[in-house]
Amino acid sequence: MRAEPPPRPSPLSYAERPATKVPNWHGLVVLDVLFNNLSTGLYLCAAVGELLAPAAFAGVAPWAYRAALAFLVADLVCLILDLGDPLRFHHMLRVWKPSSPMSLGTWALVGYSLAVGLLATAGLLPGAAAFDAGRRVLVLAGMVPALAVALYKGVLFSTTAQPGWREARWLGAFLVNSAFHFGAALTLVLAGLLRQQDAVAGLRAAAVALGLLHLGALLLVVFDIAPFLRAVRSPARLVELGLVVVGAGILLPMLCFSLGSRGGDLLGLAAMLAGGIMARDELVHLPHRLQHAAGGAAARLRA
Amino acid sequence: MSRELELTEVAPLPGGESLTAEGLERLIGPFRRGAVPEPAEEMGFYTDTSVCIGCKACEVACKQWNQLPADGFTFSGNSYDNTGALSAESWRHVKFVEQFSVWEAGGGDGGAMPGRWLMMSDVCKHCVEAPCQHACPTGAIIHNEFNNVYIQPDICNGCAYCIAACPFGVITRSTLDNHAHKCTLCYDRQKDGLVPACAKACPTASIQFGPVEELRERARTRVEELRRRGVADAWLYGHEPTAGYSRLNAFYLLLDRASVYGLPEAPRNPWLSMRGDYLRAVLSVLPPLAVLITALLRGR
Repeated sequence: MRAEPPPRPSPLSYAERPATKVPNWHGLVVLDVLFNNLSTGLYLCAAVGELLAPAAFAGVAPWAYRAALAFLVADLVCLILDLGDPLRFHHMLRVWKPSSPMSLGTWALVGYSLAVGLLATAGLLPGAAAFDAGRRVLVLAGMVPALAVALYKGVLFSTTAQPGWREARWLGAFLVNSAFHFGAALTLVLAGLLRQQDAVAGLRAAAVALGLLHLGALLLVVFDIAPFLRAVRSPARLVELGLVVVGAGILLPMLCFSLGSRGGDLLGLAAMLAGGIMARDELVHLPHRLQHAAGGAAARLRA
Repeated sequence: MSRELELTEVAPLPGGESLTAEGLERLIGPFRRGAVPEPAEEMGFYTDTSVCIGCKACEVACKQWNQLPADGFTFSGNSYDNTGALSAESWRHVKFVEQFSVWEAGGGDGGAMPGRWLMMSDVCKHCVEAPCQHACPTGAIIHNEFNNVYIQPDICNGCAYCIAACPFGVITRSTLDNHAHKCTLCYDRQKDGLVPACAKACPTASIQFGPVEELRERARTRVEELRRRGVADAWLYGHEPTAGYSRLNAFYLLLDRASVYGLPEAPRNPWLSMRGDYLRAVLSVLPPLAVLITALLRGR
């Protein structure tokens, strides 16, 4: 738990200061967004695979659900620790309030936790195979909260008053597409490690094609927030960011996945994670950096 | 001595509750619902900055009544403003704007005009459509019976979404308890039929409290009066709704642009974008889903 520093008196005039205050969301929120996308992406890819090609995904899906559960637990830990008062996390369950994306996300997380928790542990129970039809219904039903969990986070950021976030109309779309891309990549790696070759071919094609959609959604967000990025980053730094987020995070993985080797898949996934963390760090900290930049620019003008 | 024995020997909490009962209360208490009060007349603040003298009596009265901690003794170098900003510990903030160099340089008929001070006691705007209230996922932030925005301190869990949502930068999390706090419009005093502490202490009636409709009428009359007396720049901020924002139940008479006072020129309620953003996000599910389905069907 990190306490916020008390607001210090500023020598800037009121007109020079941003009217808004930035919430104390930092590294834990970056990880939360990442784990959210990893978990939901993994679940959605495994679920679609299991429903469309049950034989090919029979060996992969249970492990994908377990990995999705592990990422979900990590996500929930980040969410709770980032609260000012983590012992009051259950207060989120007091109300059902669709006007608040955070409330909607909370209830979506509850539904998703139940679905992925049951699916991850169902295979461990004796006699579980007898309930195959029920399991398929649960897989399908779990897709609804999984999609809601994947998409609420972007809307949560874009429906704030924070400069940079409030202009990012496509943030929800970006995180959804990113989740699918991550999910396909993770499931592909998992299928490769488990030697489930029947699942690998389809997943490989999906992991490459979903990269294009991921890139398209990212460009839409960048188009929205470009003036703010230029305000906080030098041109050289923007090129570096582009190389990591687009080059390493999307294009390199697409190339790696198309090579068709297990080593290439692992390298592609590692590069995706690096780019994904960088992109999320940049998005989460944009209002913080804008606030610093506003102070710095005003101080320079005065000097 | 066993741990269990130690626990049973812990001094009873006020009211004689055991630790188990206290834990249970923490768990269940927030889910209890009290009786909803009957709606009362809509109350608010009208702050006439033309008569503010920057005495900070409002800040002191607010801190004293609400038992808020001191801000420390930090010299800001920004006029007489050493409070800095509204925060969880400062629910009133007197702003000082020194307009000397600008005014003295350009007079109306070429001659230098005397500089001027602008002073303003800032506070939570108690928005009729409050983004913080929309955002709050715990239901801690409500509109009370006086239609004032109120944070229930026993419910807030410090998620900070209200901080992100407020376009006026009113709310912060307390460094003492990590919960969000802001002006309550002296809800406790109002319930007892008293005027909020800041309005009571204001020696020039810059801060006026009362039924909102009455305040709006009073403010309109004051603007007309000021304009008749040659103060052409007098105008009201937040007394009427705009395309992007609801009216404010704590509104201001200003003598310059809103940004000069650190207020957003055209605040926009972030919730106006919510439906469109959800729609874009939901529609964006279709292409990756179609790609995934196609790829997996072809790969079978």
